[in-house]
Amino acid sequence: MRSKRRSAAGSSTRTRSSALLGVLPLVAIAVFGSACVTVRPEQRAVLADPVMQFQGDAREAAQMQHVIDNREGSFGGSSVQGGGCGCN
Amino acid sequence: MNQSPRALSRFVRFALFGALMAVVSACFGVRTASAQAVIFDGRTTVFHEPGPKSTMTVFTPSTDLTVNPWDFLTVSAGWEADVVSGASERVKAGPLWGSRFGPDVVSSASVHDTRHSGRGSFTLRKELTQLTVGGNTSTENDYKSNSLNVSARTDLFEHDTQLEISYARNWDRVCDLAHTFNADFTSRQPLDSSTGCFTNDVNRAEDPIKTDAFQGTWSQAWTPEFATQLVYTGQLQNGFLGDPYRAVVLSIGGQIAQEHHPENRTRQALALRGAYFFRPLKGVARLGFRAYRDTWGIVSETAELELEKYLSGWLRLRARGRIYNQSGALFWSDDYTTGRKSDDDPLGSRGQYWSGDRELSPFSSYLVGIRALGSWRAEEKRMLGIFQGLEAAVALDVLFNNYRNFTLAGLPVQDTKAYIGSLSLSALF
Repeated sequence: MRSKRRSAAGSSTRTRSSALLGVLPLVAIAVFGSACVTVRPEQRAVLADPVMQFQGDAREAAQMQHVIDNREGSFGGSSVQGGGCGCN
Repeated sequence: MNQSPRALSRFVRFALFGALMAVVSACFGVRTASAQAVIFDGRTTVFHEPGPKSTMTVFTPSTDLTVNPWDFLTVSAGWEADVVSGASERVKAGPLWGSRFGPDVVSSASVHDTRHSGRGSFTLRKELTQLTVGGNTSTENDYKSNSLNVSARTDLFEHDTQLEISYARNWDRVCDLAHTFNADFTSRQPLDSSTGCFTNDVNRAEDPIKTDAFQGTWSQAWTPEFATQLVYTGQLQNGFLGDPYRAVVLSIGGQIAQEHHPENRTRQALALRGAYFFRPLKGVARLGFRAYRDTWGIVSETAELELEKYLSGWLRLRARGRIYNQSGALFWSDDYTTGRKSDDDPLGSRGQYWSGDRELSPFSSYLVGIRALGSWRAEEKRMLGIFQGLEAAVALDVLFNNYRNFTLAGLPVQDTKAYIGSLSLSALF
């Protein structure tokens, strides 16, 4: 009985592992395959508009980041350029 | 025909140089140099934090010049300054001390300093890839910084996908009091002034700070109106990571020592942003989230929302809001003069490190702001006979801080509101 329960548990574990291994490639394909969706060149007018650019005005964003970073204990998510300062 | 060895050597060097130029030309399609675009950018930001004990005003003017001598090359150079004036608390005490001896130990020191920073970069482009290399050097009375940064970017799937990796390295030096060799940190006194910094003054020392930062970015266009951006940032810091001027009351007997932070800090942030353009409204909504944590125990969350709309073909208006919340550093305490009652107790000693920095305490902040931006492009003739384009913007943000545990000898801080204003002008020649 013990061996049957062990083998049943083992086959259940192997089934879950196999299912995960089978699902992972599909997830990867979905994630990376979705990146292949093409926006036609004639549709890119809005995407090229300045309002659609992340960080918007890069220099304005950099100056605001400089102000904020010196007032918080956090950092990151925008740019790694720029030097340090004794601004504390 | 016989050639002398020297002549042969000259011929070989000339041939090699010619071959190198041919390779460069083939790679980047060198044409006769012609300035295709010159952009001048000038702006200033003013930060003002009113408050009876720690008012602070910082002017940050900057100028940048960007030139595209060839299609494959962009060169940029700029200058920025921080003109700082105000006061900040130099000796930090907590409520236990304040209840016994009053808040007078929390002294303020006036701060007047100017930081000058020079920066430059060049970008090489070929088809779908670009490489940017830049540098920055800055100097102020008590701090010097030099940095180098590189980034590489490529477009995939007909520009729907952009991948970028960046790296930056800082070599900084901070002025400190010349402490007695091997002096215990509990006996080290704070720096009194920047006089004598970076000279042969025997009462002054220089402490190094090294920083390495890495960033990876994935930008993706999903539909003609919707795009996202995922950013991971990592940073490694090593060196003197405190404020040399700030001291903390360590014992009820009145012992004061320069704040003492760990020498190493590893920081990580993950940000996700999305932008959606509403065609009927001619406006865009940008939403962003950032999660952050570091080895000092600080965990933070940030949420931002921006709404920007075209009021006309040349004028657009932006409104934004930002919410931020962070936990305190593991070694931060509002009062180090007693033992700690529990892990959640904001009072009590924290082992070998101590800090008077409010930015390492648990707090939250809210920011609201508005910006108006005008943009003009020349159609047939240049504007005023000179400009191909002009852009001007004015913005105002208000920042509200809520320090949950930080006090000045038991008194809550009163300067919890700050104003950030900016003006900018860009010209395209």
